[in-house]
Order: sequence, then C-alpha cells, then structure tokens
Amino acid sequence: MTLLKSIAGLSAGMLLASSAIAGPYDPYKGTTLVVNFPAHPHYDAVKRVLPEFTKETGIRVEVDQLQYLKMREKQTLELTKNKGDYDLLAYVVFSKADYVYADQLENLAKYFMNPKLADPNYDADDLIEGYVANIGVAGGKKGYMSGPTGSLFGVPFGSETSVLGYRKDIFEKHGLEVPETYDELLDLACKIPELEPGMGGLASRAASGHHASHAFLLHLAPLGGRIFDDEWNPTVNNAAGVKAAQALKTIVECGPEGSKTFGFAEAGASFLQGTSAMFLDSTVFAGSVNDPSKSKVVGKIGWAPHPMGVRKGSQTGGFGIAIPKNANNKEAAFLLMQWLTSKKADKLVALAGGNPSRYSTHADAEVNAKFPHMAVFGEALKDADPDWRPIIPVWGKINADLGTSLSKVLTEDLDIQIALDGVAERSKVIMEEAGYYTWQ
Amino acid sequence: MAPAVAVMTVALLYPIAYMVYASFLDWNPSQRIGEATFVGLRNYTSLWSDESFKESLQVTLKFAAFVVSLEMVIGVGLALLLDRNIRGMSVLRTIFILPMMIAPIVVGLIWRYMYHPTVGVFNKTLNSFGFESVPWLSDSFWSLTSIIIADIWQWTPFIFILSLAALQSLPKSALEAARIDGASGWQQIIHIKLPLMLPVLIVTCLLRLIDAFKVLEVVLVMTNGGPGLSTEILSLRIARTASEFRELGVAAAMSNYLLLVLMMLTIAMFVYTKISESRAEKLKRAVEEY
Repeated sequence: MTLLKSIAGLSAGMLLASSAIAGPYDPYKGTTLVVNFPAHPHYDAVKRVLPEFTKETGIRVEVDQLQYLKMREKQTLELTKNKGDYDLLAYVVFSKADYVYADQLENLAKYFMNPKLADPNYDADDLIEGYVANIGVAGGKKGYMSGPTGSLFGVPFGSETSVLGYRKDIFEKHGLEVPETYDELLDLACKIPELEPGMGGLASRAASGHHASHAFLLHLAPLGGRIFDDEWNPTVNNAAGVKAAQALKTIVECGPEGSKTFGFAEAGASFLQGTSAMFLDSTVFAGSVNDPSKSKVVGKIGWAPHPMGVRKGSQTGGFGIAIPKNANNKEAAFLLMQWLTSKKADKLVALAGGNPSRYSTHADAEVNAKFPHMAVFGEALKDADPDWRPIIPVWGKINADLGTSLSKVLTEDLDIQIALDGVAERSKVIMEEAGYYTWQ
Repeated sequence: MAPAVAVMTVALLYPIAYMVYASFLDWNPSQRIGEATFVGLRNYTSLWSDESFKESLQVTLKFAAFVVSLEMVIGVGLALLLDRNIRGMSVLRTIFILPMMIAPIVVGLIWRYMYHPTVGVFNKTLNSFGFESVPWLSDSFWSLTSIIIADIWQWTPFIFILSLAALQSLPKSALEAARIDGASGWQQIIHIKLPLMLPVLIVTCLLRLIDAFKVLEVVLVMTNGGPGLSTEILSLRIARTASEFRELGVAAAMSNYLLLVLMMLTIAMFVYTKISESRAEKLKRAVEEY
C-alpha cells in the first residue's frame, strides 16, 4: 500500500515537474493544422521550411495550395461556413477589406495578450511598418489602415514592394545613370530604344483590367496622386493622376513590342528574355532573374529603389496570414503564425528564396551574401506606401473600371483627361451606393 | 409520372429559381443568402444605365452574328465541296473535326501564342514577306477579329459535320431527276440541296447561336476582355461581376437577361420545328388523299 502510494506520489510529482518545464508548444503536440497558401515563390519557400516547425513543435501542417487569384473565391466560401477547414490562411491584401468587414478573421489582440501563447522575443517593431499597416491592420485611418482605432487581424507574410530592375551591361555600355527620379526614368525609357534598336525601355504591364490599373497605381503614388481624398471624393483625375497615366503611356509606347497587352508574366518574360532594359514591379520577381532555366540575363541585372516623383512611394502588396473565425485549432494556428513570422523563420524562408517581412532579415549578412539585392530591397521598403491604393470592399469594381479605361487610353488613344474623368464620375456613383458619402 | 416530375422540378427548376431569387438581392459572397438584402428589380434596371454592360452586350451580339454567319457559310460550303467519294475521305473528315474536340482553354492558349506580337506565327510570316506586324490582340478592332477567327476555326467543323450528314441523307431520286433534267451544279445546290437541307441548317444555326452567346474560356485566355472592353463578351462580364466585383445579385440578373435571349432563340427553334413538322404532315396527308 505504501509502495503504491509512493509510486502514485512519485508519478504525480513527475507530472507536476514535467508540466512546470513544459514548452509553449506541448499542449498542441500532435495537432494537425490545415493551412491555405497560394502557389507563389514565397510560399514554395515556406513549404521547404515547414518541416523545421513540425520538428520543433510536434505540430503537423497540411498545406492546401491554390493559384493566388483563385484563393479569394475559395476562401470566401470557406469563411462563410459554420466550421471551416482552414486553421490559417494566406490572403491577398485586398481581401482584407472583405474578410474583416464580414467579421470572418480573428482579432489577434487576445492571442498576443495570452502569456502562454505570445513569445516575448517576437519583436513586432522589426516587422516592416508599411506592410503591417497595409496588410495586417484594419479599422484605423480611412478604415483600412493603421491608426489609433486600428487593430491587428493578420501578419504580413510574403509581402512585396516595387523596385527597379535594370540591365547593368546596357547601362554601362552607353554610360547611362540609374534613374532616381521619374523625369530621368521616363527620359531613359524612351532613349534606350534609340540606343539599342529592338530593345524596349521599360517592360510594364498594361493589359486591360487589373494589370493596367496596377501599372498606373505604381506611378500614381510617387507622382503625388491618390485615388480618393480624405473625404472619399475621387481625385484620380487631378493633375497628378493625368501625369501618372501619361507616364504609363510613355513607358508602354517606348516599351518592347506588344507591351500594350502585357500582363505581369509577359512583362517579366520580356525583361528575362533581354528585350527590355528596365523593369519596375514587384520584388517577387527578383528570385527568377538569376535562374538560367528562365532567364537569359543571368548576372546582368542591377536593382535600385523605385524612382521618386514628388515623393517616394513604392507599392505595398502581397500576402498576409490570418486565423479564420471558424478555424478549429486557433491557438495552435497562432503559434504557427508567430513561428513563421519570427526572426528565425523569416530568415529561413528568405534563405529558401522567399520575401522577408522583417527589417533585420533584409540587413542580415547571411541573407545578403546569398541574395545581394536584399539590402537594396530593405532600403526600398522604408518608402513603402501603405496607402498607394484603397483597400475597400468596392475597390474591385473601381479597379476594373480604371483598368479598362486606361487600356482604352493605351490602345485606342482615348484622351487621358476624359478617361480619368469618366473613372472619377463612375467611382463617385459606386462610392455613393456603398454609403461613403453618408456623413457629407 | 409523379416521381419523374418531382425529380425534374428539384433538379432543373430549383437552381433556376434560386438564380432568379438571387437576382433580386444585393448579395456579396461573404454573406449567406439569408443575410442579403432584397432590392426588388434594382439589379435589372441599374444594368441599363451601366455603360460597360451595354458595351458588353453589343460585343456579344456582334461576336455571335459574325461567327455564326461566317461559320454557316464556310461550313456548308465545305460540306458541299466534300460531299463526294474521294479516297481518304474518312481520314480527312476526322481531321476536320479535331478543333472541336480540343479543350477551349487550350484553344485559347494556342491562338494566343500564334497571335503573339513578336514570336507568333502570324506576325513572323507577315514580317518575312515584308509586311507590317498586325496588332492582333492589342487593338480593339483586331482583337475582336482575332477571337472571331479563332472561334470560326474551332466551330466550323461542327456545322460542316452536320451539313455533310444532311447532304448525304438527301433523297438520291430528287438529285438524279435534276441531273437528268440537265440542272447544272449550282442549280442543284441552290434549288435542291439547300432547300432540302434547310431544316437541319436552321437547327444547326440556332445551336451555334446559343453556344456563341455563352462562349467564355477562349476569350478569357486570349484577351481577358481587352483591350478596353472590346472583347468583353457577356459571359465574361458575368464571371467578373461575380468574382471580381463580388456582386452576386447583379451577376444573376445579367445571367437572367442572357437566359431570356437564349430562351427566345430556343423557342424560335421549337416553333420552327413544329411548323415544319405540321407542314410535312399536311403534305403527307395530301399525298395520301391524292
């Protein structure tokens, strides 16, 4: 009897002891998380790093990868179910407006407040500010940005900004300077086809719809424009808007042959095939320039920050990760989210070819040794503009209209002012219907 | 009878009723249907002040009119030419219907590469003969022309096959009689073959018309509606309204407009068959009485 008691006492003591030294991941050991990630270079890198997480925590992760433009539809369906299949999902930045507005994402405050879950060494200050404001926070300034009333719904992961890629060999051959301002950029874009017959100046996307709109927005922010003013009145047709559209038109006209219908892939291909001398778009592209199976310009590409107009302002975009309200394993999902966006994993993902979301990773010596462009990207990120496009539920419609109108400017010689006036007028109606002028 | 009716009602009408109901709602995909607000006919009326919808409707009508009439002419013409016993005819026929069997997405991709401004086969050929490149997909006139050409390539075989079948089942006696009476080739075609083929041709034409109104994938891949809205056919507009603009109610209303147009065509087809049947019946009776 005494023996039995002592054994019981001993095992109870051991149990106590083991729970006292239990790690934060222990309660979730053996859990399987289902996550939804896009088919995207960053997330391909993440998949290579995930086994490390399972080894460290005992939490298994099942990845459902989808083409990124298809994610919104699938996720919208998933999020309206009572019990969802996903514990964690990566979302395209403009989905934030829909999901948060429909109350489908977990507010992350209660997780970061929970001492059993929140890692004190997480160092949120190290996360790139523009990305957090653009992708993670909602409810602050203008409703979709950070500010005193904002709160966090997701963490940027696989985020992108815009940088200028250029052909070092061509620039050296003709003694050209890397453009720092828009005037220099536009000047150069049209000079290159004269210096190098058959080569386009800058490969830009321009295809009707999302692509044309995206290319225009890239120029709008640095040239001092915005789609709306602070009262939601469309300002896309003001002088800055016209200048941005003019810049896009110039770039496309001096671009490689066929550039009027380029999407992101075609513009990138033109740069990789060596038929254009510059490329101004997302950083995600940088991973493929030195891949000989895709690129004919290996070792010839230099990178520079997005040129400035009246201000500096590169794009902010890409993905964030969030926990759905209807997830089954929210706490374990938070642990995965925190681990993935920690300093350690951010670096691991960067080394595997992903896009880091932390300043420290951009400055990291090991990462820079492997990807020398990372320092330039880190520099560019300081000017990343979280408000370069509005993230509101009706944006999809305005974006499409803007994109088709600009396509008409590029292909049918529609007058820029008339085109943008039309967009502003129609946007006003859309905004009115959506209730943005209720307080005016 | 009763179970069949029940199955039909549930399987056929329920989805349609659901769509009609949805078209009266202001419904975005983040809401469940119960949370959507009822807006009556607003989705239907507001479409008529939507310039993009009107433009897309115009594009659809233009596209359908061009492809169907050109396909009919080419398809029937080919059938008339090839309605004879040439060696290897069956192989030729199989080759002719190949385009029809290729998945539409692939057709779109093939043509998109052929139309490519620099490496595409069309511009390369033009350039090698010293002509200027044509902006196949980057000019609003040419891009519509380009998708029309691709559609003709894909669907003419359908008309060809049906016309050929019709031609070969024509009563030999009538043709023989005509030949003996000294009718020339053209006369035989115009006065005997075409009139006798007419019932088949009309059904074929309507089937193609219905299909042409719903074409989506090839255009989606080739131009995605651009440049501007010059190739944004209605089904593409509907898809974008639902997924990009997230207005399920408006998309449903558009689909219903499309459904109405298609229904009118179907009814026209039905009425035509009824009329021709009753006419044949009358003729038969007259012959019997005689």
